[in-house]
Amino acid sequence: MERRAAMAEPMVSRDVIRACQQGDRDAFRLLFDAYKDRVFSIAVYTFAGDEAMASDVTQQTFLKLMNSIGQFRGDSEFTTWLYRMVVNTCIDEQRRSRRFLPWGESEPMNKAAEKRPQEKQFARIEIAESVRAAINELKPKFRLPILLKYVEGLSYEEIASVMSCSKGTVASRLNRGHKELARRLAHLRDQVVLGD
Amino acid sequence: MLSKHVTKDLSAYCHGELPPDKARELAEHLIGCSHCRMEFEEIKLGIKLAEQLPQFQAPDSIWPELERLWETRASASEDAFKPKSQSQRPGRFLAIAAVILLALGIGSFLWLRNLSAPSWEVARLDGSPRIGSALINGKGRLAVGQWLETDGSSRAQIDVGSIGQVQVDPNTRIRLLQTQPTEHRLELARGRMSAKIWAPPRLFFVDTPSAVAADLGCAYTLEVNDEGGSLLQVTAGWVALELRDRESMVPAGAACQTRPGIGPGTPYFEDASENFRASLVKFDFENGNTGVPLKTILSEARPRDSLTLWHLLSRVTDADRGLVYDRLARLAPPPAGVTRDGVLQLDRNMLELWKTELENLWTNTDGSFGKK
Repeated sequence: MERRAAMAEPMVSRDVIRACQQGDRDAFRLLFDAYKDRVFSIAVYTFAGDEAMASDVTQQTFLKLMNSIGQFRGDSEFTTWLYRMVVNTCIDEQRRSRRFLPWGESEPMNKAAEKRPQEKQFARIEIAESVRAAINELKPKFRLPILLKYVEGLSYEEIASVMSCSKGTVASRLNRGHKELARRLAHLRDQVVLGD
Repeated sequence: MLSKHVTKDLSAYCHGELPPDKARELAEHLIGCSHCRMEFEEIKLGIKLAEQLPQFQAPDSIWPELERLWETRASASEDAFKPKSQSQRPGRFLAIAAVILLALGIGSFLWLRNLSAPSWEVARLDGSPRIGSALINGKGRLAVGQWLETDGSSRAQIDVGSIGQVQVDPNTRIRLLQTQPTEHRLELARGRMSAKIWAPPRLFFVDTPSAVAADLGCAYTLEVNDEGGSLLQVTAGWVALELRDRESMVPAGAACQTRPGIGPGTPYFEDASENFRASLVKFDFENGNTGVPLKTILSEARPRDSLTLWHLLSRVTDADRGLVYDRLARLAPPPAGVTRDGVLQLDRNMLELWKTELENLWTNTDGSFGKK
């Protein structure tokens, strides 16, 4: 169910977006395929690994997109516009359901990956699990820029636009987030640094 | 150099989000500020941890439900979207066009990504250096994964991002392995290079067939022979040579050899006696871990050669460790808190404490001790 976060920007041309705006279902499918994993990942992290909730949020986000894509004028990057929608949907859903579970209380994730036999992969999965748990314990204002940076591969400027704050605030929050991760997971230093 | 601490900008520095001038100032500040350097190590660890975050794959079940809602919506509100029956033909055409455009988009993206792949500027100094099979006329770019090669009459200079320069001598084969704000790494397969790095410690690495040279803020030359052995000579600052759990710390004026399968030998000052250096080679690489070479090393050692003796403490047999300790203690008495028993048991804290005291001796060119 998972792979390492890809940092590259998915390419969906303006023509695909224009076709979506004209109600073309096939174009919408292309859009969905290009962004579904990224939207889903943000939701999974936001809802502490609750994949069912993340599926709901992903669906809601694309429904909103379906309804409002006609309003996208291209003044900002499409990705920025989309991620703002994802973040807002997650926040709405959190308020509605008040579900914000620590990792331990949610369904165990990554079952398929856990079965992989290679020792190195297993070590990497263990590290990823620890990082996910530590990310979940961060305050939302430090967690979100980390997710947008490392899961979505956004620049500081794009993150600032999604979060409606300044680049300086993004830099400061990432700094705090990095330090907090390092503090909580100091015991993994050798594995992470030497395991490159 | 910035006089104020730079901790708040460290993440932006690591992500390449600072303007070049500010990044350079920050790097210079880091070299001289241990407080910010400690913070920098924490931030780098945080970044490496965050890079482990995986991306999840959305379940297949989402699309059918969306499609059903799409259909419902389309039939309920013709204003929102064109009815499928009216737009089927143009829709199909648009879909095909969209697929083609998407493919073109991905192709362009990959092409552009290739063009904008991380790379370093290379300048020709002499002859005809090559990047891959392309001759460098004036200047070129060395991308990650590419080899730079010089023949017997060629030399080149590489700009290591904004953190330093590497001069590549004749008959050298060198490759760029990685360039990221948190790590720059070259591979020297054979030949000789000289590096001047003004970055914080442990940002610039050179892999050789028998060890990794980790820059600790320095200038040095590194030469790899056809057998994969190497010779490091440090002219400023410090370099660490590493292979697995074996590490040699080499200060300015000192050198260190490496061999495939063994790793870094014991560092020594280049002005040590010839007997001393020859015995050290025997000890490190010619099954010389016996009495005779060690005896010569100990008898010929000067106070400054405590660099070699300190490294030998953890490399000799348990039986010989006492001999090394006694000689080292005569040349440079251990500080308070360091005991013979502790050193013989290789107490890590005691060894580090003694090393900190000895560093004053190793970096003083007049060879005096205790002037801290």
